[in-house]
Amino acid sequence: MKVVIGVVGNDIHVVANRLIDISLQSRGYEVFNLGVNTYLEEFIDAVIETDAKVLLISSLNGEAEGWCRDLLHLKTKYKLDDVIFVIGGNLSVGEGEESQIVPQFEEYGFDLVYHQKELIVSLDSLDQFVQEKFGVLK
Amino acid sequence: MSLLQRDRDIILSNEYVDNFDFAEVEEFVKNASKNLFISHAFKNNKGKTLVQPRGGFPTYDKMHALYEQFAPVVDVLPMTIDSHTRLNDYGSAAKMLRLSEETETDLLNGYPLINHGYRTTRKMVTHFDTPVSLRHGTPDARLLIELAIASGVFEIEGGPITYILPYSKNFPQDKAFLYWKHVERVCAKYSTINEPINRESFGPLTATLVPPCITIVIQIAEMLLSLEEGVKSFSVSFAQTGSLNQDLVTSKVLRKLATKYAHKIGVTDATINLVYHQWMGAFPRDKFKSDSLIDAGAMIASMVGADKIITKTRAEAFGIPTKEDNAQAVANVQYTLNMLRGIPAFVDEEEEENLTNQVDEIFEAIFNDKADTLWRKVFNSIKNGIIDVPFSPHIINNNELITVRDKQSNIRIYKKGKLPISDKSFKYEQSKIDLGQNPNSVVNQIIKDIGVML
Repeated sequence: MKVVIGVVGNDIHVVANRLIDISLQSRGYEVFNLGVNTYLEEFIDAVIETDAKVLLISSLNGEAEGWCRDLLHLKTKYKLDDVIFVIGGNLSVGEGEESQIVPQFEEYGFDLVYHQKELIVSLDSLDQFVQEKFGVLK
Repeated sequence: MSLLQRDRDIILSNEYVDNFDFAEVEEFVKNASKNLFISHAFKNNKGKTLVQPRGGFPTYDKMHALYEQFAPVVDVLPMTIDSHTRLNDYGSAAKMLRLSEETETDLLNGYPLINHGYRTTRKMVTHFDTPVSLRHGTPDARLLIELAIASGVFEIEGGPITYILPYSKNFPQDKAFLYWKHVERVCAKYSTINEPINRESFGPLTATLVPPCITIVIQIAEMLLSLEEGVKSFSVSFAQTGSLNQDLVTSKVLRKLATKYAHKIGVTDATINLVYHQWMGAFPRDKFKSDSLIDAGAMIASMVGADKIITKTRAEAFGIPTKEDNAQAVANVQYTLNMLRGIPAFVDEEEEENLTNQVDEIFEAIFNDKADTLWRKVFNSIKNGIIDVPFSPHIINNNELITVRDKQSNIRIYKKGKLPISDKSFKYEQSKIDLGQNPNSVVNQIIKDIGVML
């Protein structure tokens, strides 16, 4: 299964991005990694070009909130309803309550939201979601 | 007029540079005090590890105060440049400098040398009469280094690989090679009229599980590109790996092969120095543990016979250190170094042979590239993954090389990607790794290995 990943905005935190890449590969996904410093439009372009079934955006410096507001609009415009949208990392600038952050990003159009969650726990949950949605594992 | 001089004229006729006087600068360098040249200190200081902290502040006054604090304890003063200047955005640097002066808060993470200008900066540098090292991270440093040298800063850090792959996502790598070629030529030109300008490569790279063979290959590649243009004093460097054994082995192989490859391109009259960076990865938040880590780094610098050590402070985990923290760290490192004189020689033939083979195998592939010039060969080698830097954010980097630590904390190659090392070399690396069967174990191991000093 194809998955597009990357770090949104002017964020150059590369370590977690590489770890997600390695983890997804070891779980059998075909990974298209756009790397750090990626804009929302670039993610959408990559999903269309690769025909990926999962888009996994990450953010460490909390910029995601500003960048992801247009997601729903783009999702509708390009008819990407079948794509699983995932976001994870540190999703707020400063201290943020998970109980507020998760519904906020769900409203933006994300199916799965992982705020300050462990990488392996998050990816286990993604695996399960993929299996439920598509009926197959990868 | 030479092509080089024509390029320099264009570069120096920048709106942020106030009337650069080439003849006056040349006269200044020619008559400059020998004490400003680290190349001179290296020559006359055999056996003593020079100590250099990190640091840079936006305003002239704070920079002066920092040097004032450092002067009694350091051997080399740092001049760390702010990030706007690194990206050639002198307008933003000027604005932030003005605001920093007005509000007395630091709105830049370093010294905006272009905005201060060389006439002002030179006053400070000549006043302290101590070598100053330019620390930046600039892909296109053609203007910056002119102003540095005109200010009396006679050591220039950086290079076309080490200032791109760890720092940038998409600055064109080929452009960086050409910009740095220009830098080398200017340094070489000034090197003939007094003591040589010293060039230093940035060995830590991403400071995240970089295997020694990659560090050494990149150090030597940048050295060769510099010597090729006529630079006569060059420092190769590496950072504390997290394994005492690997540090010792790396230093020996790096020194040995740097000389070997310099000779291979026909350069026998250049001085090659070794610089050691104290731990560049994530620091503990416990300041006492930080002190131990810094002590261990000082001890290892002494054991590897480093010509220079670049220090960290106990405040590393908390942001930019105060000048007092910084001076204290230097004093402690000097104390430790002074204690450790006459350390016994250390040999690990098996590890040295393995690392030497890896570097030679990678260089064989680089030299066999069909391109006509060395920089193109190195450029192609980065592009096709012969050189692969773990955790580089740059789009050109191959990202297939995966490393983990073994039981002795040595960084080992787990997946070699397109690294052209022999089966024998790779088997040696593999034989040291023990991860068990869990599919999550590699990632878990990497997370643990990155945070090894926490």
